[in-house]
Amino acid sequence: MATVQEKLITPITGGASEGPRNKVTVVGVGQVGMACAISILLRELPDELALVDVVEDRLKGEMMDLQHGSLFLKTPKIIADADYAVTAGSRIVIVTAGVRQQEGESRLNLVQRNVNIFKHIIPQIVKHSPNCILVVVSNPVDIMTYVTWKLSGLPKHRVIGSGCNLDSARFRYLMAEKLSVHPTSFHGWILGEHGDSSVPVWSGANVAGVNLQTLNPDIGTDQDKEGWKETHKMVVDSAYEVIKLKGYTNWAIGMSVADLTESLTKNLSRIHPVSTMVKGMYGINEDVYLSLPCVLNNSGVSSVINMTLNAEEVAKLKKSADTLWGIQKDLKDL
Amino acid sequence: LQELADELALVDVIEDKLKGEMMDLQHGGLFLRTPKIVADKDYSCTANSKVVVVTAGARQQEGESRLNLVQRNVNIFKFIIPNIVKYSPNCIILVVSNPVDILTYVAWKLSGFPRNRVIGSGCNLDSARFRYLMGERLNLHPSSCHGWVIGEHGDSSVPVWSGVNVAGVSLKNLNPDMGTDKDKENWKEVHKQVVESAYEVIKLKGYTSWAIGMSVADLVETILKNLRKVHPVSTMVQGMHGVKDEVFLSIPCVLSSSGLSDVVKMTLKSDEEEQLRKSADTLWGIQKELKL
Repeated sequence: MATVQEKLITPITGGASEGPRNKVTVVGVGQVGMACAISILLRELPDELALVDVVEDRLKGEMMDLQHGSLFLKTPKIIADADYAVTAGSRIVIVTAGVRQQEGESRLNLVQRNVNIFKHIIPQIVKHSPNCILVVVSNPVDIMTYVTWKLSGLPKHRVIGSGCNLDSARFRYLMAEKLSVHPTSFHGWILGEHGDSSVPVWSGANVAGVNLQTLNPDIGTDQDKEGWKETHKMVVDSAYEVIKLKGYTNWAIGMSVADLTESLTKNLSRIHPVSTMVKGMYGINEDVYLSLPCVLNNSGVSSVINMTLNAEEVAKLKKSADTLWGIQKDLKDL
Repeated sequence: LQELADELALVDVIEDKLKGEMMDLQHGGLFLRTPKIVADKDYSCTANSKVVVVTAGARQQEGESRLNLVQRNVNIFKFIIPNIVKYSPNCIILVVSNPVDILTYVAWKLSGFPRNRVIGSGCNLDSARFRYLMGERLNLHPSSCHGWVIGEHGDSSVPVWSGVNVAGVSLKNLNPDMGTDKDKENWKEVHKQVVESAYEVIKLKGYTSWAIGMSVADLVETILKNLRKVHPVSTMVQGMHGVKDEVFLSIPCVLSSSGLSDVVKMTLKSDEEEQLRKSADTLWGIQKELKL
């Protein structure tokens, strides 16, 4: 007795369909991981989405909740498992796993706890998706991207940290608010460490190519009567403030990760301030990851823009590099 | 992310969390096409809204049915609805809080709005879940699977098997036992899974959020863009299908910028109509005890 499916549908291509071409995996289904997942789905980027975590109930619940929205999505396959086999064949793997900052805690405190988690995660990802691009979000992101690079054995252009993509987005939002324009019309870059010592490149800040520092040479200094430096301070304090108010941040980071994913999967060659291996640049001699403007496409970081930074900005980058290396060299078993 | 609004306002009573959520969304401003995101405990920030989505209220605990939440949520609505109406007297109210059919009735009564401007998210999600599960069985995308779940958003929703089709081919014609207990393929299980979906997801992750969020965005899109798409949403069904009381149940409705502009008259079988009337009776039984 033929089933409804058999009566309704005449197959033409026999056998299983081809594997996914734009599979994205999100490791970690906490608030950040799920915000990344929903942003990526609603931007219609992957043809397959996999979720991995250790907490199996929550993982399955999140997967089902996304699947129930399938009617409204263009991603036909959403899967999840604690077993990394579910991630096989991914083009992009986004790592959000790990512990998060508590109220008042700095990102650097989380390091060793997260290194131990990554020792379990990264080899499994690489085993099932040896050709993927890894995007690290877990904090402290610059160090964790270094750790991921070491543990994965992948070439450095395929290991990227979300880095200052979010800081720059926050900077552009805050500056644009002050200037009454849309964030996309204000251009400004925050580089270096994603955290307390990030570097706002005031010399590049502009609207419609009009350089703000030319209009106000004191911009970003303590002498500035307009206090523009405050905007950068607000960026640094942003995460702490949102965490204090709602317990965590997730929407903005999720949207910024989807933005990176779009450049990677669609081979756009757009420039983003993300964390990449900077040894050999700006007088930095150690293996550290810091955010610089990187051209992202489907090979990962295809090139880096050589910013013209003033001596003070270069010094700050070097100082961040030293701080990060100071922590990295003490990490065990990489 | 669906780029529907030119301004988004958030309201809640917990001020810290409200501010934190607002800031987190604002920080994503670069990636959005909504230039103004505001939030306040004071409803004045909602002024001149075209659509107001109400999700406030207590939610189902593990194993708790939606009907249990009623009186708790009625009291919350007595504060919320008049405030909404005061600042956006011309808006369309979209109720999501559970039990949605009863609370849509409550919102309608408290707002004094005409019935085309108070809509419940109702079975929009149930139908989406049904179509997803149907798509899984047939290896098709949900948007190519057509099936309507109507009536109460909850344990006694009604799957209209006679309408279930792919490319206009009625599945019930292919399998006359579909939806009955005699069906060897047990399609009835699909509807059962839809009813149990929420309980299952709640048991696994504590609550449901993504699917309902996406389905609400779907409704808001149709309303704001004046699309006149048909959605199974909760509306006043007195006088239809033999329902005599002022109850809200989901039936296929045409949505537009004026809210609910028309209703699609479904040809239901007598047992399907009977189920609708039974839901109506259950809901009225609860509604008549409410102190509004």
